[in-house]
This record gives sequence, structure tokens and C-alpha cells, in this order.
Amino acid sequence: MTPNTTVCPRCDAENVRVLTTSPVPGRWTMHVCDTCVYSWRSTEPSSVTDPPAYPPEFKIDPAEIPHLPATPAVPRRR
Amino acid sequence: MAYADLREFLATLDRSGQLLTYSDAVDPEPGMSAAARAVANLTDRGPALVFDNINGYEPGRSRVVLNLVGSWPNHALMLGLDKDTAIKDQFFEFARRWEAFPGPVERRDDAPWQEVTVGGGIDLFRLLPLFRLNTYDVGCYIDKACVISRDPDDPDDFGKQNVGIYRIQVKDKDRLGIQPLAAHDLGLHLRHAEERGENLPIVIAIGNEPVITTVAGMPLAYDQSEYEMAAAIQCAPYPITKAAATGLDVPWGSEVVIEGEIIAGEREIEGPFGEFTGHYSGARRQPVVKVHRVAHRTDPIHEQLYIGKPWTEMDYTVALNTSVVLYRQLKAEFPEVAAVNAMYTQGLLGIISVRQRFGGFAKAVGLRAMTVPHGLAYCKVIIMVDDTVDPFNLPQVMWALSVYYHPFYDTVIVPNVSVLALDPSSEPAGITHKIVLDATTPAPPETRGHYTQLVADPEGTAEWEDIIRRLLG
Repeated sequence: MTPNTTVCPRCDAENVRVLTTSPVPGRWTMHVCDTCVYSWRSTEPSSVTDPPAYPPEFKIDPAEIPHLPATPAVPRRR
Repeated sequence: MAYADLREFLATLDRSGQLLTYSDAVDPEPGMSAAARAVANLTDRGPALVFDNINGYEPGRSRVVLNLVGSWPNHALMLGLDKDTAIKDQFFEFARRWEAFPGPVERRDDAPWQEVTVGGGIDLFRLLPLFRLNTYDVGCYIDKACVISRDPDDPDDFGKQNVGIYRIQVKDKDRLGIQPLAAHDLGLHLRHAEERGENLPIVIAIGNEPVITTVAGMPLAYDQSEYEMAAAIQCAPYPITKAAATGLDVPWGSEVVIEGEIIAGEREIEGPFGEFTGHYSGARRQPVVKVHRVAHRTDPIHEQLYIGKPWTEMDYTVALNTSVVLYRQLKAEFPEVAAVNAMYTQGLLGIISVRQRFGGFAKAVGLRAMTVPHGLAYCKVIIMVDDTVDPFNLPQVMWALSVYYHPFYDTVIVPNVSVLALDPSSEPAGITHKIVLDATTPAPPETRGHYTQLVADPEGTAEWEDIIRRLLG
């Protein structure tokens, strides 16, 4: 199966770019999603690289991201 | 006994039969994590693991070390003890060495991590064989590095300089996510920086001798220096070197020194990450680090920690440092405390042995454990046993629970108190009930039960233990 390089397995956003490639050329490529910051390597199993195979309990809706709690909260400026 | 660096400790492990080097080819995922999980599953006397042929990296030049202190023999060797030293004896030796705190530091300017400096075009993925630890982690993490920072309100106070272990998501080639919780020292430094509207300079030092990473995971007071504690535990001055850009003090022996800043006011999605509770953490918006500079040895070693359902290396590294902190704090007020075993899930469950002064005394000591600083986030379940019971010997503890604990008289439940939010049973996250199970012998004015005819060891048993140990060689 051709590794997924266009859709984020976790949030399904089509906001994916190449993160880096292997120091020994041609061994693997890593991609990152600029919406949810999920990253994966081309040599990993389809369970973490293929959007339909990614388990629903670990998926995230991009609309939820701005509403996640901030930890720690940003304090008021003095 | 002090180890100058990670490489010296690896050599000792190798000589002691506690190091396994695997040179067949492995993919970054999932082989190395699976191996670390496997060795923890198999034994509590397992070796450290070295991988030196990782797909995508030059064989022999890129190495990953896992499970460095992931067994009792390796923990004993870290302390310079015989590798067969019993856990209870390691506990008392750790507590004894604490008495030398603060130990001296030794300032040096010739650190081996100064060999190579990278100021631009940084790509951490090419520098180090980073890899996903657990299947549904959001990405690659660095989780056993010393994170060093100073209090921006008091930058010259050496004691307030903090060395801690924090989970770090590698989000991009030179951009990281970090988890400084509000209660952590780093969280306090960040708060002060953000109140001032400033970024917080930090150093992330990877690949260290094991004492500093053990001490960095220790719940010390805010103004206690981890370097001065490492000197006490190592019984030797602790060597440190200033990092060029930030001026922060870094272990002399580190493999890789990353300098950067936590960006004031910025929060970005981070997680999930498989945590020490055996559950994933979920995702939150957390601070972000911009990396400016990296210094490293030629062919640096990437030391990483597999973390997940206990027991893993994490449990060994925090077992005694957590137990000794609780022991010292309790013993300061209650000299009757004999020993503390708080090594279950960082002290969410603890066992305390105590000589009862009067009826109800053990329950009071158990409740006190919940209100020492570490207890505010841990100590959800406290089991009290007599001082004649070894709290590190679980069959003895289970015996005490089975015959001394009376569910009606010996249960104290404290409702709705604080616990760390990562405890998956807490509801809401960070709030729980806590419990003391008192398995000590009732003392006057309590006279219940039938405990006057205890079966003692036959005369000479201790001598026979020595004879049999000798005969077994």
C-alpha cells in the first residue's frame, strides 16, 4: 500500500507537509499535520498512518482544538 | 563511585552483565519500544538495551539506549552498590546519602558536548533517532532529558535553578511542545517569565549519567539544587558546564545540549502521550519551545525512556527517590516511621511501616502522608503496617492486610481532595477520595482482635538465612 502523504490520519485535515527525511536517503519520510501537529513515518503500520484505520477514540475534530484547555493557563502581565 | 557520564555507566553495566546490545536492523517503530516493554514484562533484573542499527541512520553511529535504570540491579549499580543489593537496603542507603545534601558542584569548561555546535538549519530528527514510544502518541517525544531553567525573578539563585524531567513533543525540526504543569518548578519559572512578558530560556540535556536524571525526577523543595543533591547521592562533586547561549548550568557529561526558549503566551495542541498511569493523557494546549542552538558530542547517544503501564523504567527511576522524600518528611514529625514504600505509580499507592505509639497513631501518620507536598498530588491509597513488617516485601504486606486490617475499624476515607489530574479515576480530573487502610496491630486503648500468640521465627533463623545464602553462592 502506498503510504498516506496527504490526509492527517488523526484529524482528517488536508494540511499535511513533509516533516523530514531519513539521514540515509530513501529509507523513510516523516509527515506532519499543521492542523493538529500529528506526525507519522512512512515505515509505520497502517493503524497509525491510514485515516480510515485510525481508531475513532483517538481522532480529533479540528473545530475542538481551539477549545482544548490551556495547561498551564497564561497568567496576566504584571 | 561517581559516573562521569552515560558512557561510563554503560561500560559498568556491560561489565556486570546488565547491558544488551542489539545490532540487527530495526525500524524506529515499533521495535525499540516493544523491546523495552518486553524486558520490563519479563523481569525486574533486566539489562539496559542499546540499539545501534536503526533504519534510516548510519549503523554504529546512531545509538538509542533504553531501560538504563529499568531493574533493581541497574538501580543498585547506579548507586555504586553490589548489583544484588536488596531494595530495602538501597532505600536506606539513598536516605543516608541525602544527609550529605547540599553536596558541592564542580564548574568545568571542557564539556565533551561542546565538540559540535549547530546554530542554524537544526533538524533534531536527523541528529537523533527519535521515535514514537506508544502507538497512539501524537508523535515523537523526548522523555528522559534534563530540562534546566532559572527563576526570571531571581536568576542568580543557584538553588532555584531547576533540573527536571518533562515530556517533550518534537513537533518540528526545531520546535517542541513541553508540559510544565503549574505545580512544577518549571511551571513556576514560566509563570514568572510570562508575567514579565518574557520568553523563558531553557536547556534540554539528553543522554546523562543516571543519578542526575533520577534526582531530576525527585520531588525536591523549590530552592533545593538538583546538582547539589546529585553530588550528595553520588558521594562526589557534581561537574557542570555553562551553556553558551543561555548561561544555564548543564551536566558536564551530557551527550546533547539543546538551547531554546519557551515562547511567552503561546499554547498549542500537545498530546496524547502514553503516561505512567498506563493510560494516554489526552490532548491539551500547552507551551511551545523554539530551539536556537544545539551542541553535541560526535555521534551522540540518544537515551530515551519507555513509559506506559507499570512497571517500566520510569517506576524504577522514581521508586526510591519518591519513597525517601516521604520517609524524611514523615520521620521529621514522627520518628516512629520505620520505612516508606511509595513506589507504586509514583506514590499514588504507598505502604508505610510504623511503630504504633497508641491506638489511632498509624491512621494519623497515614493521613499526614496525604498532606506532605508530594501527597497533595499522590498518596490516594495508604497502607499502614507495623514496623516489624518490611513494606518492600509485598507478601508480608499482604499478610498484614489479611490478618490485621479490619474493614469496619481500620478504614479512613477522606472525601474530595486533590490528586494529579492524570489519575484516570479522578472525577473531576484532579479530585478524588483518598483512603488509609490500617493494617497495624491495635494498640491501647484499642484492644480488639486476637494477636497475643504470634508465631515467631524459630531460634537461629537469621543465622540460617546467612548459611543458605552462602551455600547458594
